[in-house]
Amino acid sequence: MAKIIVVTSGKGGVGKTTSSAAISTGLALAGHKTVVIDFDVGLRNLDLIMGCERRVVYDFVNVINKEASLKQALIKDKRTENLFILPASQTRDKDALTVDGVQAVLDELKKDFEFIICDSPAGIEQGAQMALYFADEAIVVTNPEVSSVRDSDRILGILQSKSMRAEKGEPVKEHLLLTRYNPSRVESAEMLSVADVEEILAIPLLGVIPESEAVLKASNQGQPVILDEEANAGQAYADAVKRLLGETVPHRFLEAEKKGFFKRLLGGK
Amino acid sequence: MAFAMGKVTPFREEKMTETCFRMKGTTLTSIVLEVIDFEPDNFEAQLSQKVASAPQFFTRSSLILHLMKPLSATEFELLVALCRRLQLQPMAVKGEVAELKPTINDLGLADVSQSKFTDSALRSNKASGSENNNGSGENASQTAQQVQTASAPKAETAPAAAPSLKPAKVINRPVRSGQQVYAEGGDLVVTASVSEGAELLADGNIHVYGTLRGRALAGVKGNTGARVFCQSLDAELISIAGQFIMHETVKGECWKKPAQVYLEEETLRIEPLA
Repeated sequence: MAKIIVVTSGKGGVGKTTSSAAISTGLALAGHKTVVIDFDVGLRNLDLIMGCERRVVYDFVNVINKEASLKQALIKDKRTENLFILPASQTRDKDALTVDGVQAVLDELKKDFEFIICDSPAGIEQGAQMALYFADEAIVVTNPEVSSVRDSDRILGILQSKSMRAEKGEPVKEHLLLTRYNPSRVESAEMLSVADVEEILAIPLLGVIPESEAVLKASNQGQPVILDEEANAGQAYADAVKRLLGETVPHRFLEAEKKGFFKRLLGGK
Repeated sequence: MAFAMGKVTPFREEKMTETCFRMKGTTLTSIVLEVIDFEPDNFEAQLSQKVASAPQFFTRSSLILHLMKPLSATEFELLVALCRRLQLQPMAVKGEVAELKPTINDLGLADVSQSKFTDSALRSNKASGSENNNGSGENASQTAQQVQTASAPKAETAPAAAPSLKPAKVINRPVRSGQQVYAEGGDLVVTASVSEGAELLADGNIHVYGTLRGRALAGVKGNTGARVFCQSLDAELISIAGQFIMHETVKGECWKKPAQVYLEEETLRIEPLA
């Protein structure tokens, strides 16, 4: 049975697309047939981060409008097997997404894929609501700062009231993914701690992704950061994917580096 | 007919050889209609529009007429007739009533201009009531008010029937930013935390078995006995029967501790829960 997972946040710029790309790649690397859909119609970004922008011919809206088949629109990832991308349209807007149209596409994808990752646009309007409406699970991407936490709280409320599962009385499974975490800034009280955010949002923690230069580098190179095994952000995403698949993995990178890089490498669990 | 001047304490029962009635004090919520200007056609148009905006709220609801300026006897009779036509039930009059006493008597209304709930009380309540009871159909000219009154001696021998209580509304998950929960006619119980930007409303008490970071408005229809209880007090706003305190005031000794908030003589009191 295919699982639909929405990656959402309310606030923009917190790392939804980066996380969608990393997690879908991680799931595919683990052998699960995965498709990642860009719901950010009009501001498509996922194809850039996945490094396939030059291979986009047809898009999600074309498929909804039956101007192209799914097969024509799906882009097979070149690096990772089992991974496909359904890009957003750059020339349309979010009103092009209809409940019936999105449902038809998802139903068709469900036949072939184990995981369907929906990369939500920012905000709480039509586009974001469409991305989360059919979700079985939600990964709420949050930065350790108050406005991001507030928006995540809001989007959790919307998940509880405006998703299809909520309408049927079955809750959407919620996961917290804390990104851009900087332990030394937490220590100097410039940033909320993991515990602070967990206390406010009260949902299970899927992972903590440390703030890392590797993330920006990976985005600019069009390569999901999870493929950068050297980077702690890549490793943290890999851990998160394991947890998503049900493994128990201890959280890493929560403490500030004090004793130098090698010490951490050797001593880190 | 007498109006209790004191607090909510009931009248002492009259002891007689054979009890034919009891006298009790009671508290009831009423709408105060402040009559700023009375020009019949205009007034009727505005009032009927207001009533139509929330018919269930206004129909058959008791009304206190507060005359902001003196009216002639004819005008006053017209005003009362107009209210009754719109299904409102004027029961008492206050404000500029000096010239109208005989008319008030003739119409079977009570003159409460000398009563304890004076204008100062009214004003403070009004100021808060109209601001945060949004959505309940009130505005500056119509404010839910507490009226303390002794019931007229009716031939009642049986004790009053037990009040029918609506079951509490119980919410078992966090109330998130942007969500609003209203427990109509009863208590609201939340067994999780209430986020900033969330709003709880109840006609009765509000209990939060978690951290209360959002807004809690208890007794929104004017129940001054309503209270707010929470496991950890971190609220943006707490209101009871229209009186409210903001975050800055909440931030006292009970900050982030178990606490209850209640109304005592028009002041909200915060008290720790052991």
